[in-house]
Amino acid sequence: MALIQLDNVSKVFSSRKVDVEAVRGFSLSIRKGEVVTLVGASGCGKTTVLNMVAGFIAPTSGKVFLEGEPVSRVEPRCGMIFQSYALFPWLTVRENVEFGPKVNGISRKTRKDLARNYIEMVGLTGFADSYPGELSGGMRQRVALCRALANKPDILLCDEPFAALDAMTRQVMQQELLNIVSRSGQTVFFITHSIDEALILSDRVVVMSARPGQVKAVYDIDLSRPRKIDVQLTDEYLKIKRKIWDLVEEEVKASMNM
Amino acid sequence: MEDTDLTFWRAAVYGSLGLICFLGLWEISIRLHLVDPFFLPPPSQIITRAIRMTTGTDAVLLSDIRISASRVLTGFFLSVLAGVPFGLVMGVSSVVRATLNPIISIIRPLPALSWIPLSMLWLGIDEQQKYAIVFMGCFASILVYTTDATMRVDPVLRRAARNLGASDFQVLRYVILPGALPDLLSGLKVVLAIAWTCVISAEMVGANSGLGFRIWTAKEWSDTGQVLVGMISISVTVLILDIAFRGLERLLLPWQRKVSGT
Ligand SMILES: Nc1ncnc2c1ncn2[C@@H]1O[C@H](COP(=O)(O)OP(=O)(O)OP(=O)(O)O)[C@@H](O)[C@H]1O
Ligand SMILES: [Mg+2]
Repeated sequence: MALIQLDNVSKVFSSRKVDVEAVRGFSLSIRKGEVVTLVGASGCGKTTVLNMVAGFIAPTSGKVFLEGEPVSRVEPRCGMIFQSYALFPWLTVRENVEFGPKVNGISRKTRKDLARNYIEMVGLTGFADSYPGELSGGMRQRVALCRALANKPDILLCDEPFAALDAMTRQVMQQELLNIVSRSGQTVFFITHSIDEALILSDRVVVMSARPGQVKAVYDIDLSRPRKIDVQLTDEYLKIKRKIWDLVEEEVKASMNM
Repeated sequence: MEDTDLTFWRAAVYGSLGLICFLGLWEISIRLHLVDPFFLPPPSQIITRAIRMTTGTDAVLLSDIRISASRVLTGFFLSVLAGVPFGLVMGVSSVVRATLNPIISIIRPLPALSWIPLSMLWLGIDEQQKYAIVFMGCFASILVYTTDATMRVDPVLRRAARNLGASDFQVLRYVILPGALPDLLSGLKVVLAIAWTCVISAEMVGANSGLGFRIWTAKEWSDTGQVLVGMISISVTVLILDIAFRGLERLLLPWQRKVSGT
């Protein structure tokens, strides 16, 4: 049985003036332990899809299932890393990371250790007592990753979590994420603008069409793991990158000419 | 050229200069008989008067200040205690908001002074009546400030908290309350000033102690010196309370101080 299943899901945002059809007839199922990335033009509805999986917004039609049950409220099994970080500005880095364990009743000592480990992993030990407002965009993004991981969700929903990082840090974080989820068996649903990032991380890449977002193509990525950076030089990699690139380009053009 | 902020000490120097010039002009205009000291006593006379009112046999000034301030603070705390929780609930629930809005819209525009007749009929002129006036003058404003502050909390933060497993109550306690606190505290600062207006007015109309009462009786005796001592006492007390309030703000909002880099 699929862990996440989107069944012919559509979303229309209605306001007094206009209706915006963000997602149309989107179907996808993700197995437990899979890493699936979603690529597509800006504004094509990627975040909207993720928001429906997390239970933040309800589909206009169609259904989202988690382990066969329809999602009807905010789903704590899904840990979200928000595109805008959504860190609590009044909490320090450490307190932000501890937030999930704290509201779930984990003891003070355990969550302290948990937070320390994750903060160390993303290289922010010296900033544990800083407030988010004192950090750079890339540092905030790493804190957001820690906060989601510290809660140990079954599913990680990542909305461009590495977009603000420089190329080197980004690679390190990608590897770190892969290490963690391969150890824990967590399922990852990941949005990115970068095809390279999609290819390094995923078991499958889903290409979305221009808005209203539909599934345009799904590619199985059979590159062997662990994938080091030099996988990018292999023919297999370049072939699939070319294919996805062409599709995405088409859709970006389509979305710009509207 | 850009107008940059002065350091604390430079600002203090300029401020003292301004104050000294102002007081000097005031004093001189009376010494030169440009103004009749009966209408406006000079600063020197006000100072001796203030000293007499704090040290002499009928030293009432300090106890008046204490009495007025305790009326203000008691009434203010009571309205905060009632208004903030209500405002939080209104901020998060559109149903509660819609239900209470008409009632608040009727109460809020009423000046605190307009409650004086009713409150005197109900409660006489004792302490409870003073608290009631402050409460009626502040409660609706606190509700509105709290509701607004609550509604301005970034909804994505609520989502984030819920996503991390927080219950309704935990969202309220750990996200809405701290998120609303900065706006809430600046709102409460404004309300504290309203509370002073309420107490001084109530004391002028019906009381036998407090700064408002002292100013009003002085007026009956045409004692401009005492009127001015009373007025200046209000200014100074409000200033001191304001400084205390700012200290409280810094204590409660360490993240804002650090982030703004001061
Ligand atoms: N709450 C909302 N109300 C109205 N319209 C919305 C809302 N959220 C999203 N939209 C619209 O839905 C469309 C898809 O938005 P979405 O945020 O899902 O795009 P995206 O693919 O994540 O884009 P990006 O890559 O730029 O983050 C956009 O046209 C956007 O304007
Ligand atoms: Mg998005």
